[in-house]
Amino acid sequence: MRQVSRSTRIALYLYGAVILSLLYLPLVSVGFASVSKARYLSFPIKRYTSEWMTAAVTSPTVHELVLTSLKIAVSVTILSMVIGFFGALAFARFQWRYRGLFQKIILLPIFFPQTVLGLALLIWFSALGITPSWKTAVVAHLVWIAPITTLIIAIRAYAFDPALEEAARDMGASTLTVLREITLPLLMPGIVSAGLFAFLLSWGNFPLSLFTTGVDATLPKWLYSRMVSGYTPQIPALGVLSVIGSTLLVAVGLVLMRWMRPRD
Amino acid sequence: MERLERRLGLLSALPIGILLLLSFVMPLLLVAGFAVMPQKVFELAHLPDFSSFAVIWEQGYYKSLLRSLGLAFLTTVILFLVSWPLAYGMAKVFGRFTLVITILVVLILFVSENIRLFGWSLSLMKGGLLEGYLRAWFGFSFETPLYDWPVIVFGMCYVYFPFMLFPLAQGISLVPDDARLAASDLGASPARILFEIEMPLAAPGIMVGCLLTFVLSAGAVAEAKLLGGRSVIVLTDDVESAFTFGQNWPLGSALSLTLIVIVALLALVPISRIDLDAIMGRKR
Amino acid sequence: MAAKPFVQIENVTKRFGRFTALDRINLDISEGEFLTIVGPSGSGKSTLIRLLVGIDDVTEGTISLNGTRIDTMPANKRPTCMVFQSLALFPHMTVGQNIEFPLKLRGVAPADRRTRAIELLALLRLPESYYGKRISQCSGGERQRVALARALAFDPQIIVFDEPLSALDYRLRKTLEKELKDLHARTGKTFVYITHSLEEAMVMSDRIAIMRSGRFEQIATAEEIYSRPISRFVASFMGEVNLFPVTGRADGTPDWPAGAIGARPGALAVAPGWTGVLMVRPELVRFLDAGQAADFTLSGTLTAEYALGSRIQYSVDTAAGLVTVERPFETRLTAPVGTPVTLGWDRAAVHLIAEAADGTA
Repeated sequence: MRQVSRSTRIALYLYGAVILSLLYLPLVSVGFASVSKARYLSFPIKRYTSEWMTAAVTSPTVHELVLTSLKIAVSVTILSMVIGFFGALAFARFQWRYRGLFQKIILLPIFFPQTVLGLALLIWFSALGITPSWKTAVVAHLVWIAPITTLIIAIRAYAFDPALEEAARDMGASTLTVLREITLPLLMPGIVSAGLFAFLLSWGNFPLSLFTTGVDATLPKWLYSRMVSGYTPQIPALGVLSVIGSTLLVAVGLVLMRWMRPRD
Repeated sequence: MERLERRLGLLSALPIGILLLLSFVMPLLLVAGFAVMPQKVFELAHLPDFSSFAVIWEQGYYKSLLRSLGLAFLTTVILFLVSWPLAYGMAKVFGRFTLVITILVVLILFVSENIRLFGWSLSLMKGGLLEGYLRAWFGFSFETPLYDWPVIVFGMCYVYFPFMLFPLAQGISLVPDDARLAASDLGASPARILFEIEMPLAAPGIMVGCLLTFVLSAGAVAEAKLLGGRSVIVLTDDVESAFTFGQNWPLGSALSLTLIVIVALLALVPISRIDLDAIMGRKR
Repeated sequence: MAAKPFVQIENVTKRFGRFTALDRINLDISEGEFLTIVGPSGSGKSTLIRLLVGIDDVTEGTISLNGTRIDTMPANKRPTCMVFQSLALFPHMTVGQNIEFPLKLRGVAPADRRTRAIELLALLRLPESYYGKRISQCSGGERQRVALARALAFDPQIIVFDEPLSALDYRLRKTLEKELKDLHARTGKTFVYITHSLEEAMVMSDRIAIMRSGRFEQIATAEEIYSRPISRFVASFMGEVNLFPVTGRADGTPDWPAGAIGARPGALAVAPGWTGVLMVRPELVRFLDAGQAADFTLSGTLTAEYALGSRIQYSVDTAAGLVTVERPFETRLTAPVGTPVTLGWDRAAVHLIAEAADGTA
């Protein structure tokens, strides 16, 4: 195309590469810091060690943090997949009266500053007399994540032909059968990727967890409290472990989705 | 058939509707209620007054509000300028590289933002990744940019970059190639094409991207704490202290409410105009 | 026509990677001409006009306008304007703003722009009230006219059309074809039009260029292309024609490899060793009654009839293959399908196309 000259193209590719490397630069720093032997981090790193990683992996505190984070993330994943599936049907599939309004209301929590939402939930829970714990954090995460899974599944729902459902109904299938035999399988890839998103976003979230977990700290929340109180080598070590956990999950998720594709 | 669809629509909207009613709408109403309570009370059973708003005015809390909005505005403008070329490339030039960028940018979202910001403070500090290696390899040193407001803007640009990039790329992909070619054919220079064809046609994406960035960075706090080192107090900082150390729920609520109202006023107009069906999928 | 060509395309080649889309093309266009380039998709016709207006760059060769090279000029500096297949009307602007766009770029004062836009609306038979309409409120035919008005507002030396009528329904297309021809006459501009329909080309054009695989097969007037196609490809491009392979015997009489056709002695002289096809159009083939004579005769069986509105078409199975015969509906045959018939046509109806022995022209 004449519109974009060769030199512009090259410049754009370079620009993209620079931005991507800036995006990942902080993780490089964290990675290096996690294997630096010095207690007070200073670059260039002189001696490397794996003791911080080992310490993090074997620490009972860390086990507890991971367990709490996992409990929250798994609950959020399952609930938001279910809620998102139905939400997506209301969003994209069914023609009903308040659909336009519904679509916009769904967006509000995503647009909302999370710290403020977390604090509002904190006073809401105490007004209700509920002591914050990992269960309240699940609710808090859901407020933000369920609308996101709804949108992801809705994109999938837009892409499928409503005539498929009509054909099934035409052949005598009941509403429930259509839902189970046609709609659900067709939306499945969307539901799985929504679940993946839900888990990862919950796993990494901290502004909401900060105020709604009570005494049950999650990994990001605990890291944050350590970061603001001063540097210890535990922070990068745990940070790296958390990133490795997410990466593994993404890999599993991608394999799972590839495996599902033939049925698409 | 149509009646059935209507019932099913309402029914499937119920789970998320109830969730949002109980844990989004109600808490916000509570915040609105506390905003008009006297100072330092913990229930709504008092005569409403506007003492919190008076405190905001008298004790200078409005300054942190203005600061937050200013930083958010700056972040939005910078991110728009930085993201446009890349979004353009993704929508019109790159081809397969677009997928690579998309995946890599989405993946970084899954890393907790505090870990990423922490990584930046390790990169930018004196003796950090950048300064340390520059000094060791080239004997070149610089003062750390940490603990000042520009680095907060940088941090917010970094964290909210995906929220600008993707809507912009989506918006630009809505500009038909033929429209650009036709404008050029009719004698328009690249600058005229940008301002008179591409930007107006990509307006929905521009609006969504700028709005998301502005709203999210106006309510951001981690950047100021982790990179700014409390040298700059942003609004959310004040909200947090009022709710936690200060034990002054009405003040915290009033501050939150002010932010929410400003953000809502900004957000509602564009949101109400956007046709989500057209943006997300084909029109039925 | 002027001695010096208005547009001169010389030895133009366009390659995309290893694929050669255009192979050493030469074409002269006269000022004020309506030239149509016809070809199947992938023949290179779109590529050629994209080079002409400057959307793509030539790989080799030159394009000149009035003796000045334009192939090195960027699209926005060339005095050419294209009407896109998609029309490329700007959806965020009104009809008036679309038409005024090129004028605005030139810095024409708003009042003058408006005057010109309204003039152009009138020229294209659109009511003045359309000035403030949104593009989305216009019908397909109205959009065509707006796109044309915008091109005319640019006041280019050449207007190039990229199959703008292909998406419209048959009746509207026919109307707009005539309007376009009329507009060409009234404006005196040079029009270069591309289409895959030879029929459309014949309605409008002064000259037609037939393209095939990146080269011109034949460039001639509509009349010439119709009656004297240079190759089997051109001949078959418009509708149905009857083609019979012919070779020349040593004594100069024709031989029919696909099946014998009766030829009156002396009606057709073919040089010894000559290879080619004999073309005869369906409307020039007659049904012969007993005792009637013709220069060429062929007998067979009537196998089908198709009513085409004002005309009627017959399929006749003969020793030389299926032959198509067409005649006005009023002269419809009374004979039923299955009747043996004798076909005949005269020397004047015949056109010979020479071919190499392997079938290429």
